[in-house]
Amino acid sequence: MSSPETAPRRLSSGFGRLIVLVYVVFAVSAGVRAVYQVATKFDQAPVSYALSTLAAAIYLVAAAAIIKGAAHTALAAVTVELVGVLGVGALSYAVPDWFPEASVWSHFGTGYGLVPLVLPMAGLIYLLRRRRDANGAALDAGGRAV
Amino acid sequence: MIEWLYLTVQAAALVLAAWFFVDTARSKRVRMANVVGVGALEVLLLAQLVTAIVVVPGAAGDGKALFFSYLVTTLLVPVAALFWGSIDRSRWGIGTVAASCLIVAALMLRLHQIWELQIDVVA
Repeated sequence: MSSPETAPRRLSSGFGRLIVLVYVVFAVSAGVRAVYQVATKFDQAPVSYALSTLAAAIYLVAAAAIIKGAAHTALAAVTVELVGVLGVGALSYAVPDWFPEASVWSHFGTGYGLVPLVLPMAGLIYLLRRRRDANGAALDAGGRAV
Repeated sequence: MIEWLYLTVQAAALVLAAWFFVDTARSKRVRMANVVGVGALEVLLLAQLVTAIVVVPGAAGDGKALFFSYLVTTLLVPVAALFWGSIDRSRWGIGTVAASCLIVAALMLRLHQIWELQIDVVA
């Protein structure tokens, strides 16, 4: 993964490409499902369906930010996502009454094969490594300039 | 679902995922053999779609629209991943395609659920 390349690497290249694919698939599948649930049966589980919509929106923001190379936005979106899945996952066990129907983040995303839990962790590790690499490269360039 | 067709699609998706992840580990670029593999998976998925178009609309149950929207998504994911992955110069080009095959397997699982629980197909 750390093969030397002359051109600056885009955030959406390398492992970022796989992450973007999963984010887009989740944004679309969770998003369409959430919009359908909000439109047809919002009253049955308002907290769950609102949270699912929020999750889908965050997936979309994360995917778009990585594609556009907006590192700060991507990092913020992925962090919010991790906090969301951990918080909602814990709440869904602590206060199950709030979640008569599962949201994407309920039970730490077990309904979606735990991908909602693994995805922000993988994303965070990837983005932080890329930021560290970029900082390292900037320092190298500065060193040469002096 | 037509069990043998369903299981064939699942097997193909998982075998392709394994193959492409081996390619990922070996830092291979997306090549013609990979495209042929994805093409074979797409043929199977198209067979699944044609079967569903013949069988499902006449059946009872409220999961039919859901079923077809999932199936069409399933058809599109590996193709999108192939385009998105083939423009990458690192190992994660084929890695992305490998992930898309796992996504196909997961979506097929969901399709199977919808077919069994939300559509009443009289075969």
